[in-house]
Amino acid sequence: MTKTNRWNTMVLPAITIFIFLTVWELVGAAGLVPSTYLPRPSLLVQTFFTKLKDVNPEGATLIQNIASSLSISFSGFFAALIVGIPLGLMMGYFEGVDRFTKPIFEMVRPIPPIAWIPLTIVLLGIGFKAKVFIICFAAFVPCVMNSYTGVKMTNPTLINVAKTCGASRMQIFLNVSIPSAVPMVMAGVRLALAASWSALVAAEMLASSSGLGYMIQMGRLLARPDLIVLGMLIIGLIGLLLSVVVTKLEEKLLEWRHVR
Amino acid sequence: MKERKTWLYYALPILSLLLLAGGWLYISAAKPELFPSPAETWERLGKLIKRPLARVPLYTHIFDSLKRVVIAVAAASIMGVLLGLFMGVSKTFQATFGTLFEMIRPIPPIAWIPLITIWFGIGEFPKILIIFIGTLAIVVTNTYTGVKLVDPLMVYVGQVFHAGRMQMLFDIIFPAALPAIFGGIRMAIGVGWAIVLAAEMVGAASGVGFLIFRGNELRDLPLIFICMFIIGIIGALLSAVHPGWKGDCVRGIKRK
Repeated sequence: MTKTNRWNTMVLPAITIFIFLTVWELVGAAGLVPSTYLPRPSLLVQTFFTKLKDVNPEGATLIQNIASSLSISFSGFFAALIVGIPLGLMMGYFEGVDRFTKPIFEMVRPIPPIAWIPLTIVLLGIGFKAKVFIICFAAFVPCVMNSYTGVKMTNPTLINVAKTCGASRMQIFLNVSIPSAVPMVMAGVRLALAASWSALVAAEMLASSSGLGYMIQMGRLLARPDLIVLGMLIIGLIGLLLSVVVTKLEEKLLEWRHVR
Repeated sequence: MKERKTWLYYALPILSLLLLAGGWLYISAAKPELFPSPAETWERLGKLIKRPLARVPLYTHIFDSLKRVVIAVAAASIMGVLLGLFMGVSKTFQATFGTLFEMIRPIPPIAWIPLITIWFGIGEFPKILIIFIGTLAIVVTNTYTGVKLVDPLMVYVGQVFHAGRMQMLFDIIFPAALPAIFGGIRMAIGVGWAIVLAAEMVGAASGVGFLIFRGNELRDLPLIFICMFIIGIIGALLSAVHPGWKGDCVRGIKRK
């Protein structure tokens, strides 16, 4: 690593963050922006530590909120994966499945997950099931789309080689099309994760009595900006961590591709 | 064998739509108090067109939502393209501004709603701001990627001809990154259409998002259905209409 390289990747970003936090803190301390609008970083740290144990004001500690959000988000996300990826793969490979599901899927696809929330509230209430449904829906669309495209993009040469070697249609699907679709499928999983995490926040803000989304919504109603900003930072951080995990998983899953 | 298969391929989409319609009819007949029938929904649509809800006619609701998306995406496109270009070209800008940007980017736009409501209330500006925040990140990321993917050969040609810094940026890198930029703006329009619903549900007097959540408050399922249809149709139109002018723009640059 050269000197300028380290300057740009390590030192300058660190200085930037430091200056950003200092200015933020000073602006708050000098009273330029009242703390009812924007809490200072020092106050956020304080809120973070009290909130770890304290259930006030909205009824759950930070850990409980995070756990409840994660469990809902994972339930919906994995349900979407289990249904969406096989469906997308089959839609991509079998013309009949494609013809049958396409009209319904194309009708549902352009409706954003948020638009499902009112219907879900009326039909399923605001419990666990309702939220999982909304998140499942948000993650479902990218899973199907990307698996479908992945199979469609299979290199024809590979399929022809398999045919020449006498592979059956099913064998080609399982041994050629699916492995070659893995990068697209994983890209879909990454999109689905981001979509499900952001849908979770929406679902919790509108139809919930627990979780991080509920916490920031309550922060608004109780005029506690420190809770809101803390919640936003934690939501962002968890989203980032999840996407890092998926990227690592993707690298692991695709290792065989680089073996020549 | 072959002919029978093509016949089946034409029948399958029709069959699936018939099944969907049949399922709807069956559920609405089995549980009329929970699920509205197609006829009821159609009637509600007629009523909605004739009698405005919240003193605003239906087309104004749609128009208001679209207006918010268009203003926000236009602003996000201008800002986002400039920021993305600078981030792609200047390492220093990337290390300073880019770092802050990367810190804020993972926060979903919807999570900004409570804070922005505290700051700016529930008028027109905060809604546009929320959409702006959500779409800016997409435009910046795509522009940045586009700049990074510019063929180095083009940059060398510019250097050989002694192009200035600004010339390099606006005559070589910007046009070469245009396809990626347009891809970003196109995505931003789709995402903006989803966020406007969230922005309107917090507090609005008009808009499709307002309408669908009013349907929720009134437990008016036909209204919710109509809104979902409208949202879906406009979402599909927004993603379908776009490629035309995108193609023209990029072609125009190639011709030069």
